[in-house]
Amino acid sequence: MHWDARELPLELFETRIVRLRKELALAGLNGLIIYTNNVRPSAVHYLTGFTPYWSEGLLLLPIRDRPVFATALSNRVADWIRSNDPVSEVISTPRPGTLLGERLAGDVSANQIGILEIDAMPCELFDDLSAAAPDILWVDASTQFATARSGIDTAEQRMLARADALAVAAFDQVDIEQSLDAGALAALIEKHVRLAGAEEIYLAVAPDLTADHRLNRVSKPAKLTERFAMRASIAYKGSWIRRTRTFAKDSSVARANAWFEGLVQAIKPNKPFAEQIATQLTMLPGARINSWAVEACTGSYPLSVVASSSASRGFEPLAVGGGVITIILLLNEGPWIGSAPFIVDGHSFTTGRM
Amino acid sequence: MIASDRRARLVAAISEAGLDVLLIYGNAWQCDYLRYATDFGILEGQALALVDKNRHIAVYVDSPLEADRIGLDCPDIEVIYAPNLTVEVEAKLGQLRNHRIGVAPRRLLPRRIAARVEEIKFSDETSLFDSLLMDKMDSEIAAIRRAAKFADQGYQVFMGAACVGRVDYELIAEVENYFRACGIEDNFQIIGVGGTDVKGMAPPSGRILRRGDLVTTELTPSVDGYYTQICRTLVVGDPTSEQRAAHALFREAMEAGIAAARDGVAAADIARAENDVFRKHGLGEYTTSKYTRVRGHGMGLFADSKPHLLETVTTRIAAGMTLIVHPNTYHPAVGYLVLGDGILITDDGCEVLTQTPRELFSIPA
Repeated sequence: MHWDARELPLELFETRIVRLRKELALAGLNGLIIYTNNVRPSAVHYLTGFTPYWSEGLLLLPIRDRPVFATALSNRVADWIRSNDPVSEVISTPRPGTLLGERLAGDVSANQIGILEIDAMPCELFDDLSAAAPDILWVDASTQFATARSGIDTAEQRMLARADALAVAAFDQVDIEQSLDAGALAALIEKHVRLAGAEEIYLAVAPDLTADHRLNRVSKPAKLTERFAMRASIAYKGSWIRRTRTFAKDSSVARANAWFEGLVQAIKPNKPFAEQIATQLTMLPGARINSWAVEACTGSYPLSVVASSSASRGFEPLAVGGGVITIILLLNEGPWIGSAPFIVDGHSFTTGRM
Repeated sequence: MIASDRRARLVAAISEAGLDVLLIYGNAWQCDYLRYATDFGILEGQALALVDKNRHIAVYVDSPLEADRIGLDCPDIEVIYAPNLTVEVEAKLGQLRNHRIGVAPRRLLPRRIAARVEEIKFSDETSLFDSLLMDKMDSEIAAIRRAAKFADQGYQVFMGAACVGRVDYELIAEVENYFRACGIEDNFQIIGVGGTDVKGMAPPSGRILRRGDLVTTELTPSVDGYYTQICRTLVVGDPTSEQRAAHALFREAMEAGIAAARDGVAAADIARAENDVFRKHGLGEYTTSKYTRVRGHGMGLFADSKPHLLETVTTRIAAGMTLIVHPNTYHPAVGYLVLGDGILITDDGCEVLTQTPRELFSIPA
């Protein structure tokens, strides 16, 4: 977790900020406040390159001036934050809301400020902001942020591809004949991706996929059966992907993997996803769909569901530049789960192999 | 067992406070309140739980993956997948308008819900909940003891992984690999590598270990959700006289803090005992917020639990509390240095839970 200008050049952040400021101006906003912690890091990371490993903070993006990042992370790590956030003025303070509120109160041109995901903002921070700047009108600016963030630029594509490559390489190491315990397998995968530079990884396992297709993290010994699945959610430089792979000794997994890879590569960006899956399913005889979901990064969460088989949004064209597709199939031999990231590159989707 | 112990205690506290329902917020960072009530260790998204005085628990989560996980980990809890979390919980609270509702932790409550306080009239029960979190039951202490053993083992793995030319994240990878193989579900760990240029610990940044570097780490595995922490420092190569002297000062400070830790004192007393050692050596400036955050803190379902050990914190220390005493700060001659042990407050003092020697370790250069 460190900023590298070769991976995320300063001009990249400037371009993203210009795009967002344009949306804010169209909405008549004088600035934007974004909350961040290690569960909701993505919006601040998108604009600054920084993810807090602990605690929380607020980014103020004024319509013109330099962004200000006020954080409750203590002063001793302020230099470290600055080395990872080349964009902002970094201030360590126990009351980030009060500090930014006072800044805004002193700016005569600021009267209407957007907040990303205003409903979810921790109330103490919001109370501090509004108490320090009582004349400001605070409005939700989630739509403006999502619009500005809707494409996935080439730098982000590279980070996603790197994270995905780590997952694929780690899964490729798995020898199903030797995989008996979920903890040992999780240890192998985690070590592989961390040694390769991943900054975070969440692993989840369904040790007996035939009995239960829900995945959970490993916290006690769990024997792996002849059909199991593992999900790796991996962050590389703030970009998160998921890969889920099914492991079984029969040939059904290879068939489903090949079908899934074909599905992801064939998807068109402007058609309802549900319709496209239904069409593709005819190419995998004997398979039925249990469920599917598409996740994408549209705000502060690394990934959140934007379309699924259980929501009406699944029947609308996808409005994201990329994300993660997860499908659960019911095959004659047993359940199969697959997840893979995808990117809309303008005309087509691209993906790594299963 | 541990979860049912906690739930019984929480429900009794809810009734004693005259509440009908307690609304609890949680995410993977501030996970302790939610874990205490539900035994669910959330990873992604956010959750709000409603615990009523009749022991019924409903958890609203905005991630379908987490909804699956709660179903597996906590089969007796009602799980509601709520993509619009605040909207759906707000609607539920609207149905409870005539109930006495408490909330914890108040400060993290989503704004949309907090904005309804005039109408729904909930009370801030964070202090009540904090008392439960700090005062450990025997089953909780047993989990913390087990985590302390893993903290010691984890540090051995860390030292074994450290050598000249290795990158800082590789050391973390070796520790996490060990913990996953042992079934340890989480470990909070930060690291520092270098000399006087290093002002604190942080996640690994790709720094390569070189001769003369101080390598600091704070390692915090959890067992059944309970975190125990250890802080140690090693030197790449033979320690210099300055490094040895600095470490001796930190050891004196930590041991002064541990000696002061007993039932009935204030958190401030422990911090003051540590800081007095620095002041005695003319380094009082390095006990301030310019260079350090806290002089230790509670250990439990949150890696950085209350009480914080600071000279301004008046929380009474009581038997059954678990703490880490760590005088971690910057030393002008050698850089950021750490040393800390987990302790359990007993009736007549304290018991040290972590057993790794309090040495300035060194590895071949």
